[in-house]
Amino acid sequence: MDQANIINKDVNIVAYYFKNNARHLRCFPKRMEWEGKRVDFTETGLVHPTQKGRRMIHVFDMTDGSADYRLEFDAQALSWTLVAITDTQYAPVSTQFAPSY
Amino acid sequence: MPRYLRNLQLPINPEQPQILHIDLNSCFATVEQQARPMLRGRPLGVTNRLTKNACVVAASYEAKAQGVKVGMSFSEAKLHCPDLIMVETDPPKYHYVYKKLVKIMRSYSPNIGMKSIDEGIIDFHDTRQNINQRPLAVIGHEIKQRLRDDVGCWMKCNVGIAPNRFLAKTAASLHKPDGLDIITYKNLRRTLEGMKLTDLTGIAERNQARLNAAGIYTPLQFLDAPSELLVRKVFGSICGEDWHKRLRGWEVDNMEFSTKTIGRQFVMDDYNASEEKVRNRLAHLCESTGLKLRYKGFCARGISIYVQYKTGDAWHSRKAFRSTFYTTPEIFRRALLLFNQHPRHDHIVMLSVSCYLLEPSTANQMSILEEVNKERLLTEAVDELNRLYGNYTVTFANSLGADKQIKQKIPFGTTRYFELLCNRA
Repeated sequence: MDQANIINKDVNIVAYYFKNNARHLRCFPKRMEWEGKRVDFTETGLVHPTQKGRRMIHVFDMTDGSADYRLEFDAQALSWTLVAITDTQYAPVSTQFAPSY
Repeated sequence: MPRYLRNLQLPINPEQPQILHIDLNSCFATVEQQARPMLRGRPLGVTNRLTKNACVVAASYEAKAQGVKVGMSFSEAKLHCPDLIMVETDPPKYHYVYKKLVKIMRSYSPNIGMKSIDEGIIDFHDTRQNINQRPLAVIGHEIKQRLRDDVGCWMKCNVGIAPNRFLAKTAASLHKPDGLDIITYKNLRRTLEGMKLTDLTGIAERNQARLNAAGIYTPLQFLDAPSELLVRKVFGSICGEDWHKRLRGWEVDNMEFSTKTIGRQFVMDDYNASEEKVRNRLAHLCESTGLKLRYKGFCARGISIYVQYKTGDAWHSRKAFRSTFYTTPEIFRRALLLFNQHPRHDHIVMLSVSCYLLEPSTANQMSILEEVNKERLLTEAVDELNRLYGNYTVTFANSLGADKQIKQKIPFGTTRYFELLCNRA
């Protein structure tokens, strides 16, 4: 069973990276500082918007290669929240169904 | 249809395929793998609740390869696949992917239809010439690429192209995952040759038994069966004629169904719940039903309640009223009226509330009764507050705390309430 550790704390995003996706320049977190620790993200999973009442929240699912992080950016308060970390040890990866490019 | 016409064998539709069916592969599991790179390439199951008895609502291809099937309980799935990872559903993610898919589809034709969260149809009849002149296979590959560009590199989808909706869906299921197949009048027989009856959408065990009883054992025999036989012997209704046309590539599924009922059901979080707890859950279901009713601009005249007991017995009751209703207190009062009649011989494990006899809302019509107007104004004010701060911020006292137990999950089959359901507090 996959149990995420719920954190729900404000964090600092100290570095960003930009990507030109479908003619839109998009911004993603690159480095996070939290409780004296520094996390460098290696990959962005999915970025999707959601609503809390009328407030627009952008959810960033990120990974640093050893754990998955769920970050929320409040577009009104301009604040970052670390929602959860999942760092369970999983079984080896299978490449059988990986998409072919 | 006159008898002499029924005896005529309808030819296979010779039209060039103009229907493109898109099916996201193991949608929820693939989206979760897209969101969390650590899960990619690993057997993954998606469930509504992370408990032992919760069932798998979607499984990744890695899990399916090890025998995990949709509908299995978590403990059963774990027996087939000890490394299975289970995650809880996250509707906003699926909503986002759904919107992206709709946007991509709209860019090709205004005539699109979503069959469910992860399935859609593009009808290329009457589209602009510059799109229509390109081969649909090229457009199919382009859609696959755009999905990867817009959502993420792990997203895969099946594309099926055929002259009608049914054959397009059949084509989309031929080579999973990430396939693209075309069925035309030329290769229809060859395609059906390699299939079983139950591989056809809409043919499960019961329909298979009906067909077998009439001497039809393969899809090819089904295709060759005369309409008369299907109408009179196999299905005993007009469905037989629909199947006759459907298999030959003629369109019969181009229909929109109007909303007949609106409701909500819940499998109890506690199988030994007290009467008070059940009423609390009932109040929440009524609140949720009212929210959907008002969102769709309907009011109802009838309400029905369904209760299932621990023993497996079930009880249901329904009642139609003279006056229409749409506010939460009104729905709850009427639901309680029926609920109070249920036999109390065992604990309740499942509860369902639904409104029927739907009519366009009468919210703009003032009542001559002051009490009714007050209730309506209060409902409007509460709805406005919940729109601002998220659903169930201001809630019915009877349902206090229930929203923590009755979480909003994926609406299977319909995507009509997606926007409403994703507005969390």
